[in-house]
Amino acid sequence: MRLFDNLNIDFMAKRTKFYLMSSAILLLSLITIFIKGVEFGIDFKGGSEIALKFAKPINIEKIRNDVDKLGIGNVEVKTFGDASGVLLRTELQELPKNVMLNVRTSIESEIAKVFPGVDKKVTDSTASSIVYSFADPATATAINNRLNQAGFQSTLDSMEPTNTKISVRMSIADLIKISLAENYTDNPFKVEKEDRVGPKVGKELKRDAVLSVILSLIVILIYLAFRFKFAFAIGAVIALFHDVLLTLGIFAILYGVIPGFNLEISVSVVAAFLTLIGYSINDTVIVFDRVREQMKIHKTLSIEENMNHAINRTMSRTIITVFTVMLTIIALLIFGGEVLRGFAFALFIGMITGTYSSIFIASAFVLDYSNRTKTKLTF
Amino acid sequence: MKELRFRIIIILGAIALSLYLLYPTYQDSVNNKEVLSQLASYETKIKKSNPSISEVQLQEKINSIKDSILVNTPNYKSAREKRMKLGLDLQGGMYLVMEVNTAKLLEKLAKDPDEQFKQILAKAEADSKLTDENVVAIFARAMKAKNIRMSRYFGTIREEDNQIVKKLEQQETDAVTRAIEIISNRVNQYGVSEPSIQKQGSRRIVVELPGIAREEEAKKLLQGQALLEFKMVKEAEFAIGVMNKIDETLAAVNKIDSSASKSSLPKTDAAKKDEKQTEEQFAKEHPFFALARLIDPQGRVADAYVKESDRERINALLENPDVKKVMPDNVQFVYDAKPVKGNDGVNYYKMYMVNKEAELTGGVVVNAQANIDPTTSAPEVTMQMNSEGAREWARITGANIRKRCAVILDGQVYTAPTIEGKIPSGSSRITGSANMEEAKLLEIVLKAGALPAPIEVLDQRIVGPSLGQDSISKGLNSTWIGFLFVAVFMIVWYKQAGSFADVALVVTVLLQLGVLAGFNATLTLPGIAGIVLTMGMAVDANVIIYERIREELATGKTVKAAVDSGFKLSFAPIFDSNITTFFTGLILYQFGSGPIQGFALTLMIGLITMLFSQLVVVRVLFDFMLAKGYKINVG
Repeated sequence: MRLFDNLNIDFMAKRTKFYLMSSAILLLSLITIFIKGVEFGIDFKGGSEIALKFAKPINIEKIRNDVDKLGIGNVEVKTFGDASGVLLRTELQELPKNVMLNVRTSIESEIAKVFPGVDKKVTDSTASSIVYSFADPATATAINNRLNQAGFQSTLDSMEPTNTKISVRMSIADLIKISLAENYTDNPFKVEKEDRVGPKVGKELKRDAVLSVILSLIVILIYLAFRFKFAFAIGAVIALFHDVLLTLGIFAILYGVIPGFNLEISVSVVAAFLTLIGYSINDTVIVFDRVREQMKIHKTLSIEENMNHAINRTMSRTIITVFTVMLTIIALLIFGGEVLRGFAFALFIGMITGTYSSIFIASAFVLDYSNRTKTKLTF
Repeated sequence: MKELRFRIIIILGAIALSLYLLYPTYQDSVNNKEVLSQLASYETKIKKSNPSISEVQLQEKINSIKDSILVNTPNYKSAREKRMKLGLDLQGGMYLVMEVNTAKLLEKLAKDPDEQFKQILAKAEADSKLTDENVVAIFARAMKAKNIRMSRYFGTIREEDNQIVKKLEQQETDAVTRAIEIISNRVNQYGVSEPSIQKQGSRRIVVELPGIAREEEAKKLLQGQALLEFKMVKEAEFAIGVMNKIDETLAAVNKIDSSASKSSLPKTDAAKKDEKQTEEQFAKEHPFFALARLIDPQGRVADAYVKESDRERINALLENPDVKKVMPDNVQFVYDAKPVKGNDGVNYYKMYMVNKEAELTGGVVVNAQANIDPTTSAPEVTMQMNSEGAREWARITGANIRKRCAVILDGQVYTAPTIEGKIPSGSSRITGSANMEEAKLLEIVLKAGALPAPIEVLDQRIVGPSLGQDSISKGLNSTWIGFLFVAVFMIVWYKQAGSFADVALVVTVLLQLGVLAGFNATLTLPGIAGIVLTMGMAVDANVIIYERIREELATGKTVKAAVDSGFKLSFAPIFDSNITTFFTGLILYQFGSGPIQGFALTLMIGLITMLFSQLVVVRVLFDFMLAKGYKINVG
């Protein structure tokens, strides 16, 4: 079977149209990114996330109401997997002060149940833990055991026999789990996953992500400048930048539009960006390689003619190579499950824009560059 | 033809090597199925004998049985060691990033912290949360800004600020090492299989605990201060006496059991008189000593070696009510923290009998320092105690000369030196470390009492086993389906040449998996995505070559000439385009973490194996066909 056998289109003459089209989409992307913003995942934002699987299907609305009552502010509640799974997420990493006070009251009432009027002191209290000090080690141990039975995360401050302190910890996930376990006694759940990311880690990740994207672009720029000519390298990198920005824009535009489709920027989506940078350069390289070959053979032809010829000749392989990768990406998108969906989608969009830009943007830029600066590119 | 043969041998060699590297992974999955079926039968047995057992207890029992089966069967073990590991996202487990809380450490180290100190420190701590800089550096700068010398709170008056800062940073590093030691010590006791505890950067610790079912308990492992104790080791005479009694009691219990279960088989006199006792008989008559092998047959020391896998069984034996009766309740058995490898390649732990009551706890230790004894040039550790501790220590050492005192951290023995004489000043020297590393470890352990390593959790991820299982099946599905899509397309599009591409595709993935297994890499879900993606990219080279061959054919070249120039002219673009993908893979590997690194690694390995199979395997197939005079259809 053949594709585009004797294709002969004057791509270069139409380049203004493609510039306009790209600019329009890019502008739309940029506007959406600035106005609507891209939604970052927990990896970058920091926060707490917990996915639960119930024994029986559950009503998401009801869970939302239950969680709202906890007073920990805005908690995102959505289905996870099927109807019996739920994903809860908040940007908070630690309990707010007033909730911590409630928790403290319930800890102290628990203590009062067994040791009414016991002599206790709060020696340290942070946003996620309280340290109590008691008169003697035996009391501390007994209270520690009691609190553990009640579902609190209590530990003896040290294993020394003279230790009189216990520290009780309470995280957002713990609070959610305790309260849901109370509300759904007839429908027990298992924890599918639980993530808590501090602000520091998220910040570092964000910096690393941006750095790695920029670094990849620079590496590709240097390599192509070395293999071809600097103008070609610039053209290719501009095309890549275009791809990344466009994909990011589409993520921003589509976020929240398709129900059940989680389009937030997670670490794996960034990995997809890097992969598409590395991969979508392939098509550009194939075209450039052919342009170089043409320019060596047909020294008399204009660069424009050589480019048109090269693009027309390589069109079929450009389309087919992307198509085969698309096939596997579609397999991942459909069968890869929730965790890989964002990753596969980023690649899916990136492949389309990548092919488009290597055909219509990269070479066109080289041509304009050579026309503007009046440099004659030769190999 | 000769040259062709050489290439075929290389290809077959590479395939054979991959299969060899992948075999343990296959074997391990077969073993796992066997173990699971065994466990299922144990589970029904346990449930039958004890219907009221709770889910948690049952799970614990099953897990310990599973561990002992895995450790005790050498075949299972070797396959397990060489298999391709699954990442936490696939098998479930807990991933934690922890950081030493330097602010708390500084507060502990400060001479007499006042309000001003606390204020500066609190500010430095808050600032450090937002930057990469460590608390020590920020604190030092704040002090400088306020024109207060560091020696106001740390070190001696004569020391320069930067000297003190250097020392504090050293303390911080030590605290990280200490925290790692404490965590690994506890994790090992808890029996998590294949834990990974790593230092990241200067003061972060990354802990991976696969297959943790009870996260609450696991979290507790990592919290709370470590307990350092000094306990007297029981004299050999006493300890061996007790152990003999335990052994006799257990043998008696066994006898009753066997006579009750078997219909009292008449034992032949010959077997009884046989002096060479078979191991089985020895185990029957000395159930305790069969597991706890005394180091010294003459009985001068009562330490015993216990196989790693037998520790659970010893603990179970000691729980026996009859044994409890003969075992004095003021003593206990403890194990060495680090095992020694026996001649049979199995880990053995030294077991000691010590007083249950600690003579002293680590709070009295003020400082410890590993150094080299200048006269003997052997490593030693010096230890200082506070005045209260020194007084006690003088009394204890005075009363126990020539006896051994065990240094125990969280229930594990790090060393058990003999007390040579009364130590009046509280300043002791511990010799006998095999090398400087061991001495350094002991120093860290001894400091655990005085200087806790306050750590806080920055990042915590837990994946439940069911989500992991789900991810595995989804990953496998997309691999198969992706493969099918690509393979069918290639045959439809390029006919016979397409089938060559499919052969190369299988070789690519096979080699990729083989190299991954050879690197002992961990397979993660993004890693599987990397494999799927590789399949899509792998045929790209075929497409480029085949399209070129078609073009060359169209210019009227012979098939052989067209194939030749098709391969030759395609090499540059294939190489150029793949190397850029490889570069981004490298960058991703450098910046990414955990699962993403898995993706980057699979992708990079995939690119290399793919170049090999496209440029070598496919070429050989073509050359072979052409040499044999077959026609090739490129669609």
